[in-house]
Amino acid sequence: MKHTVLFLLLIWGGCTALHAQSITGKVTAAEDGQPLPGVTVRVKNSNDGTTTDANGNYGVTAAKGATLVFSSIGYETRTVVVGEQTVLNVVLESSASVLKDVIVVAYGTVKKSDLTGSVSSISSEELNRTAPVSLDQALQGRAAGVQVTQVSGRPGGETSIRIRGASSINAGNEPLYVVDGMLITSDNGETNAGGTAGSGLNGLSAINPADIERIEILKDASATALYGSRGSNGVILITTKRGGKGGKSSVSFDSYFGMQTVSKKLEMLTGEEFAHYMNNYSKDSGLPLDARYLIPEKIGKGTDWQEAIFRQAPMQSYQLSVLGGGENTQFSVSGGYYKQEGIILNSDFERYSFRTNLDQKVSERFKVGSGVSLSYIKSRGVLTGAQSAGTGTLLPGATSSALLFPPTLPVLDSAVAGGYTFQDDRGRNIGNPVADAVETDNISNYGRAIANIYGIYTLLPGLNLKASAGIDGFSSKDNRFVPNYLKRGEPSNGNAVVATVIGLSWLTEFTLNYTRKIGERHALDALLGNTYQSFHSERVFAFALDFPDNRTGWHSLGSALNPQPAGTGESNWGIISYLGRLNYTFDNKLLFTLTGRVDGASKFGKNNKYGFFPSGSVAWKLHEEPFIKRLGLFYNLKTRLSYGIIGNQEIAPYASLATVGTIAQGAFNNTQAYVGQEPLRYPNPNLKWERTSQLDFGLDAEFAQGRLGATFDIYQKQTSDLLLFTPLPTTTGFSGYLSNIGGLRNRGFEAALSSHNLTGRLLWDTDLNFSINRNEITELAQGNDIPVPGVLTVPAGWSLLREGEPIGTFYGLVSDGIFQTNDEASSSPHLKAQNPKAGDRKYKDLNGRDAQGNLTGLPDGVIDEADRTIIGDANPDFTWGLTNKFSWNGIDLSIFIQGVQGSQIVNAYLFEIGSLNAETNVLKEFYDNRWTPANPYNEYPKVNPAERNVLSDAQIEDGSFVRIKNITLGYNLPERWLQRVKFSKIRLYASVNNLKTFTQYRGYDPEVNAFGQSHLLQGIDYGGYPLARSIIGGIQIGF
Amino acid sequence: MKKYIRLSICFGLLAAGILACKNLLEEDPKDQVFVDNFFQTENDATAAVNSIYGILNATSAAPTFGGVYFSTYWVATGLASDEMENRLPATDLDQLATFTHRPVNASLYDFWTLAYKGISNANFAVDGIPRVKADEAFKNRLTGEARFLRAVLYFDLVRWFGDIPLVLSLRGEITPPRTPKAEVYAQIIADLQFAEQYLPESYPANDGLGRATKGAATGLLAKVYLTQGAWQKCIDQCNAVINSGKYGLYADFAEAFRIPNENGKETLFGIGFGTANNSISFWEAGQFNVRLLPRKLSGQIPGVNAQGWQVATQNLYDSYEPQDRRREVTLLTTIQNLDGTTTAVEPHIQKYWDKVNEPKAGNTDHDFPYLRYSDILLMKAEALNELNNGPNADAYDAVNQVRKRARFNGTAELPILPDLQGLSYQDFKDALLLERRHEFVAEGQRWFDLVRFKKLEALVPLAKPNVQPQPFHDLFPVPQGEIDLNPNLLPQNPGY
Repeated sequence: MKHTVLFLLLIWGGCTALHAQSITGKVTAAEDGQPLPGVTVRVKNSNDGTTTDANGNYGVTAAKGATLVFSSIGYETRTVVVGEQTVLNVVLESSASVLKDVIVVAYGTVKKSDLTGSVSSISSEELNRTAPVSLDQALQGRAAGVQVTQVSGRPGGETSIRIRGASSINAGNEPLYVVDGMLITSDNGETNAGGTAGSGLNGLSAINPADIERIEILKDASATALYGSRGSNGVILITTKRGGKGGKSSVSFDSYFGMQTVSKKLEMLTGEEFAHYMNNYSKDSGLPLDARYLIPEKIGKGTDWQEAIFRQAPMQSYQLSVLGGGENTQFSVSGGYYKQEGIILNSDFERYSFRTNLDQKVSERFKVGSGVSLSYIKSRGVLTGAQSAGTGTLLPGATSSALLFPPTLPVLDSAVAGGYTFQDDRGRNIGNPVADAVETDNISNYGRAIANIYGIYTLLPGLNLKASAGIDGFSSKDNRFVPNYLKRGEPSNGNAVVATVIGLSWLTEFTLNYTRKIGERHALDALLGNTYQSFHSERVFAFALDFPDNRTGWHSLGSALNPQPAGTGESNWGIISYLGRLNYTFDNKLLFTLTGRVDGASKFGKNNKYGFFPSGSVAWKLHEEPFIKRLGLFYNLKTRLSYGIIGNQEIAPYASLATVGTIAQGAFNNTQAYVGQEPLRYPNPNLKWERTSQLDFGLDAEFAQGRLGATFDIYQKQTSDLLLFTPLPTTTGFSGYLSNIGGLRNRGFEAALSSHNLTGRLLWDTDLNFSINRNEITELAQGNDIPVPGVLTVPAGWSLLREGEPIGTFYGLVSDGIFQTNDEASSSPHLKAQNPKAGDRKYKDLNGRDAQGNLTGLPDGVIDEADRTIIGDANPDFTWGLTNKFSWNGIDLSIFIQGVQGSQIVNAYLFEIGSLNAETNVLKEFYDNRWTPANPYNEYPKVNPAERNVLSDAQIEDGSFVRIKNITLGYNLPERWLQRVKFSKIRLYASVNNLKTFTQYRGYDPEVNAFGQSHLLQGIDYGGYPLARSIIGGIQIGF
Repeated sequence: MKKYIRLSICFGLLAAGILACKNLLEEDPKDQVFVDNFFQTENDATAAVNSIYGILNATSAAPTFGGVYFSTYWVATGLASDEMENRLPATDLDQLATFTHRPVNASLYDFWTLAYKGISNANFAVDGIPRVKADEAFKNRLTGEARFLRAVLYFDLVRWFGDIPLVLSLRGEITPPRTPKAEVYAQIIADLQFAEQYLPESYPANDGLGRATKGAATGLLAKVYLTQGAWQKCIDQCNAVINSGKYGLYADFAEAFRIPNENGKETLFGIGFGTANNSISFWEAGQFNVRLLPRKLSGQIPGVNAQGWQVATQNLYDSYEPQDRRREVTLLTTIQNLDGTTTAVEPHIQKYWDKVNEPKAGNTDHDFPYLRYSDILLMKAEALNELNNGPNADAYDAVNQVRKRARFNGTAELPILPDLQGLSYQDFKDALLLERRHEFVAEGQRWFDLVRFKKLEALVPLAKPNVQPQPFHDLFPVPQGEIDLNPNLLPQNPGY
């Protein structure tokens, strides 16, 4: 009805446009009656408009019946229809009461202006702009102090999030996720069944980002300490969409369709170039020419293996939601379907998701509600990285073998079982990447239910009792099958895995909340509560070898001739907590918050189950002070100071116990199988919380009537009692134990700037966030370095934990160009057991050992392990994100650019595709610029190099990048068209993700990490799933 | 108000229900047992001792990949000698093969770590078995097995590294100092004597065959005495084995490496590998063939997994009398192709490949022969030669039993390798070393033998022209990683 009236008014207004008159007036604020300068006054459907002057006055020409629109940041927009009067004084309501200026915090909400901690908010609109498959992806570049790394480009792949840097070494570093009050499991290791190979499925992908209303990221101790033992890595609060009280239901339907392509290809040798390379190799190493490569021209381009495994991949999403409700009942229901094909053959992600939120006012004093979300995911992954070939042998995964495989071989070979070229012909024994990708089953099925109910009872005015209970249940089943005609299936004659995990976490919370205003100047808000949470999961892992028949595969594990003993596992933990918070506001100027939480956790030693985590903060609203008001400069100015202690308990259960378990087994005389029982770990009954104290100083300022806003924070996080896997001399029988030794510090600076550059008909907003974090290990056991253990192809010691250095350093030799003559090579310090020649890489002799094995710090004439030093650091110097949004006449455009500066990467690919040892294809850059006597370059070694797999700065590359992450262009159909078809909104949009990345990095993408969420092995690139570029077109319909 | 009361009752019940689970903070893993009350029944004692055996073979759950005798032991002692060359691109192994190994060497650290893990499991068993409710004979037998295995591990450790920490209780001292060799040997001898006293001479074929026996303890003690230069004691131990009547040589050298003969008359102690017909994890299989057979074989026999990571030196191959049965059984130089042709390859070690029982070379059930009867004979000859400063009739008799067997080509005795006679002390000693070289290829003996005979410096360069061991190479360096954690291990062995 409202719209119809408006529509008629518009037509009428158009008819009477000739009778224009001059309108003047004054705009004031509702709360204090003060004049408002800088308010935009616009005549609707015309180009006329103005802004108010310093005294809030304006003058505009408008016809009788025209609509004036008054808008200003921080105030509700008002429209006034011009009548007979020529003076129109307008009062604007502060928009503080609308949702966007209320911040969701731990166990409650707070007005943004009253916030004392450091919190970043992200709206639904921003969140869904990049069409993310999961919410954590969507956080990338959006908030200061939050570094999101998408470690795998696999559909539904993992991300890694660091809020204000890594605060732990062996305990978890991922933040805590809270969905509508339910603390959920976010450790992918916990939710993955562990049966598939390659990068894992992101457990958070079960939460449909389209259902999310807003996300708050709690960063400082004041904001997170109420989560006690679980808050030290920051907290991500997720609020899902709930119905309103307007009495009217709204339906929205969103859908998009997109196409993805690989964002970058590496330039490898073509078939012909490869043949030349092989001939050069034969000559260099004094071998007869290989008949296969005699006439390179005949080979031609050969097979482009990257082309062969990558594809154009479609993606699509459908989301239908209905929100509504009246005074007593509010509801929201939604259903979504999302399907994404991967850019590598035979990889995809498909999700069905449903959510219902319900709130019911039972009586004036009693309110209940619930939120239920269910989702089911089916995803096929690709064997990336280095993967098992079934019985202990490692073979490169599909992405690496696509780079390594000789271009001279065809994809298909009809003469061989399976129909594919079986393996490479250079003696590296690499399987065909296309066959690997297409013929391997690598499937995850994953279901998750997150549900909670609550009741709030008002005991007295201002005193509310809230009880809530929730569950987070997941079940995951992985199926994998490698047929026997693949190289990967050869040692086992085919192998299959079926693995499941089911897990349930339940949480109950009782809170008592009291709010009271005492007189004019004192406001009090107190909270007391206790919570219980328990987690239980069970796993089964079944594995079988030797499948003579490939047709049934994992569907029929029993048909294997060599079934392996099944494995089972379980995990339990529980936490009991008591919490309290007191907010006190004095004269709306000074805000104090005190919080405290006592946590008892099962995971710790019997002497140290309980921990206390307090915090305190104070904020001063300077703009309320006369001396600041007088300046007339600040629209809003607030300083914040907070300090608190938070904990971390993200370790595996049972770490403190001395228990005996089954590990070793064997067979006597080939027939009598036996199992042994042995002590499993070195116990630590004193195992306790890791404690992180955090000091934060923040400043929020807004200028020019709120058109320019800035938030700055500086912080120091000091982690002590570090939960550290402390190595033990192995003479104890154990390699180490978990203990509370050591310290870690993060210091940083964050800035978030927002500017409403233009507020007229053409709107232009700019948001910039910028973060610097410095991570430093302050203390390790006895001050000793700890080499980071190796994983798969990465040997131990590539990274090192050392006092004074950050987590994530790289440790290796320092290269020093190329030997130019054989004499130089033999007379210079060189790697023992290698006889380098001209054209081989040269290293610096930095250190040596004396007879006792102690480092001398002096060169000793040999290059060996003593010459290793810290040669790189995966941590960025700073990160930033920049969003520009424009809108004009229903057209909106947003451009989002993200940058990471100063991070480094171990390009582990280079050991293979940067080493001309004739075993694999190589990067064209390395072949074309190789050292030869005629081309005595000093950077790229010769063909047939002496060294292998020696980590040096030659493999370390700059991982800095600037990425045009997203450009979205949208068009909202004009209201007058919508009226006719009874829609409230139709928006068409097109968007490009990962359009262009500016980087020096040689690999696929500077963001990929071969080891997922691991923070000890970060910034190592080997065989990951490359990032996709996608182009999306979509429609959003509302009625 | 009534509603309020009803509501508080509901909340109250809920709260009470939650509080009832106050054991939320108690950890009680259902898949593990607490150390303190583990030892109750005979089964617990057996399981604890089994965990020591389990560390010796191919367990995948050991601190590092593979067990103590899975590969590092015999690969390292083969490479650091004139026996093997390395073909696996791995710096650690290259260093061993060229005597350029340093304190930082993953293979050496692997062995150290695994051996001490086995010792820890043995200490756990030795500590706990007395608490088990069972008869004394049973407890003594299992304690004997645990102490035998502990002696095996300490004996190898002390010979590799010299003075080493002697840890005799579970978890032990965190940073123990190095114990003088003599004390370590005293403990080894005490453990072996206990084992000798309480272990059975044999076990039924389907109930314990493959576990440590009295003969194993007696035989190993002979080697301990030989290493110490206690010649007469060595001879006595050898004679005890010989006179027990339990052991002998198969007529054909090849028979000693047939899988059905693994726990036969020639084996005093073997490390069991295999999956008991796939009833346990494939990781428990041995990888002798995967490592040692030529890679080209993979193309010729479907399903073969052969990598050729270590090969025999040409010098080893050439040192054999061409018709010596042991050369053809031990070494492979030609591959039979599918099309009937043959391909020549450099000498690869094939003695662990039982072509009849395991035609598909790859993961194998073959045990690692830790101590064979021919070793007893050769030890006796060596000790007699040393004791009497020259060979006597008994010494000739012992070595000639081994030579006679090598003459037998499977059907007949060939006129080669005549019985030794009339040799001087030094010539006899040299002949014994050569005999050992031909007899024990890839059995983890060669480096020990060259050290005991003090021939490392002289013989290795003959096989590897550019490689020159130094006197200090008679010990391996204590792993640097371990020194970093335990400075009490300094000083490092000389030379490193």
